[in-house]
Amino acid sequence: MNELLMPFHYEYMVKAILVSGLIGGVCAFLSCFITLKGWSLMGDALSHAVVPGVSLAWLLGLPFSVGAFLAGILAALGMGWVKANSRLREDAVIGVVFTTFFALGLLLLSLFPSNLNLRTIIFGNILAISDPDILQVLIISALSVLVLGLKWKDLLLFCFDETHARSIGLNTRFLHFMLLALLSATAVAALQTVGACLVVAMLVTPGATAYLLTDRFGTMLFLATAIGVSCSLLGAYTSYFLNGSTGGCIVVLQTLAFLAALILAPKHGLLSARVQRQAASLS
Amino acid sequence: MNWLDPFRYSFMNEALLTGAVVGAVCAVLSCYLVLKGWSLMGDAISHAVLPGVVIAYMLGLPLALGAFASGLFCAIATGWIRSNSRIKEDTVMGIVFTGLFALGLVLFTKVQSEAHLNHILFGNILGIEKAEMLQTLITAIVTLVVVLLLRKDLLLFCFDVGHARSIGLATAGLYYLFLSLLAATIVASMQAVGIILVVAMLVIPGCTARLLTDRFDRMLLVAVSVSVVASSLGVYVSFFINASTAACMVLAQSLFFTLAFFAGPKYGWLAIRNQRRSSGKARTASGAPEMARNGGL
Repeated sequence: MNELLMPFHYEYMVKAILVSGLIGGVCAFLSCFITLKGWSLMGDALSHAVVPGVSLAWLLGLPFSVGAFLAGILAALGMGWVKANSRLREDAVIGVVFTTFFALGLLLLSLFPSNLNLRTIIFGNILAISDPDILQVLIISALSVLVLGLKWKDLLLFCFDETHARSIGLNTRFLHFMLLALLSATAVAALQTVGACLVVAMLVTPGATAYLLTDRFGTMLFLATAIGVSCSLLGAYTSYFLNGSTGGCIVVLQTLAFLAALILAPKHGLLSARVQRQAASLS
Repeated sequence: MNWLDPFRYSFMNEALLTGAVVGAVCAVLSCYLVLKGWSLMGDAISHAVLPGVVIAYMLGLPLALGAFASGLFCAIATGWIRSNSRIKEDTVMGIVFTGLFALGLVLFTKVQSEAHLNHILFGNILGIEKAEMLQTLITAIVTLVVVLLLRKDLLLFCFDVGHARSIGLATAGLYYLFLSLLAATIVASMQAVGIILVVAMLVIPGCTARLLTDRFDRMLLVAVSVSVVASSLGVYVSFFINASTAACMVLAQSLFFTLAFFAGPKYGWLAIRNQRRSSGKARTASGAPEMARNGGL
């Protein structure tokens, strides 16, 4: 029993667990919109594209989230512009732009060796998160939740049916930009916990899991957030015993939750689909 | 400093050769990927090889074998989940590859070999060992030969699956063959550029070539030439500025893409702007450039 409580004796573990839970919740909330909109690739792209911003911010002595956020927005605008001005498909354009940004980040990091460890950016380092970084994460989360809370109906309509949203007079350009900004902001926060390669899991998996479990968007938001928070808390906790890779543990748990939903979900799961098929062939 | 300095070192010559071969095979694949709209697939498979590499390392098997199996598993699992659930393909791909990558990271804590992980993630073309280089070259050349032999079938498969099926091609077979080729290419490039940047090598050359030509044969040729030049240039430059070689290779690719994007003779930004201007002046001639633009591939 005492063994199991060990992580809570360490202040850094308690901090890591709480911050992971918070970030997991915010990302999961957003993930419902992202999966609905079909922007999974965008989440992956932006989380890689923020890297040069992080290294530039470090060189200039700015808070890293500012640099990361600006790089993310720049990448998103760049993708939009290249897409509109060439005959390439969107997925290819996204691939070109984000890998360029990422390579630029690597180049900067290798040219100006800093205490910014490359592995911290790629894999996150929540166990050693500093207090100013926690403050940045808190501010980002509070802003994201505030914006999502105020605008979630508009965003829902925008994600679900853009044309309809435009026809009833919503400013879809603004909503598009807002969603991109939210995505960049949460990608920056998630970078701290799970690192650039796994941010996309935080931004996609909980939403998809919840989507398998329910048909109502309100319930989906609730379920996704619950899954995101609990997987992150539990993942950070487990990583203490496995002695490493907090991000890896969190994402493995989220994937397991997804697989469980895929097989067992009451209506859209594989088992229930099979039962339904059998029932249909019997009758 | 002498411009010929890099060629005096055997490790630089080997790196240039490996870079060029990897660049060529990735460029060929990238033409098909861009056409098929599968850029994300390259990204997904390249991340998904990690657990395979770690498991192979633990069991003492060749790393390439584990990587190949794990990459292919990712592609097949993605296809299976997508056809058995109501989730969109790109979302499924994101879930599967991050799940596998995370699994690889967790497993990795059981292996204490920091250097290896860094090499797999970011490549290690300058310190590549003879055996690894040989493996890379053989995998790359075999893949290249298979793709070139089947290039017509693959082209039809990527361009129009329905048509390919209707004229009697085994599209399911081609699907798996293509995925295997992709996985093999990624495994071959793994040692050189690392799994995180391999997606760049698998997307950018094809995009650059697509902006420059309408014919597929020419697109292959352009992509391969651009990619080989860019990879060599990247390796060469990294020697002088003492920076990450993989990053330099990718940035050289991006540089050529940027050039093609702005200055491409027909589909470049400048060319299109000029066309728009001249067609604005002479309204009667409108439509003609439009048709020319849509008439191609």
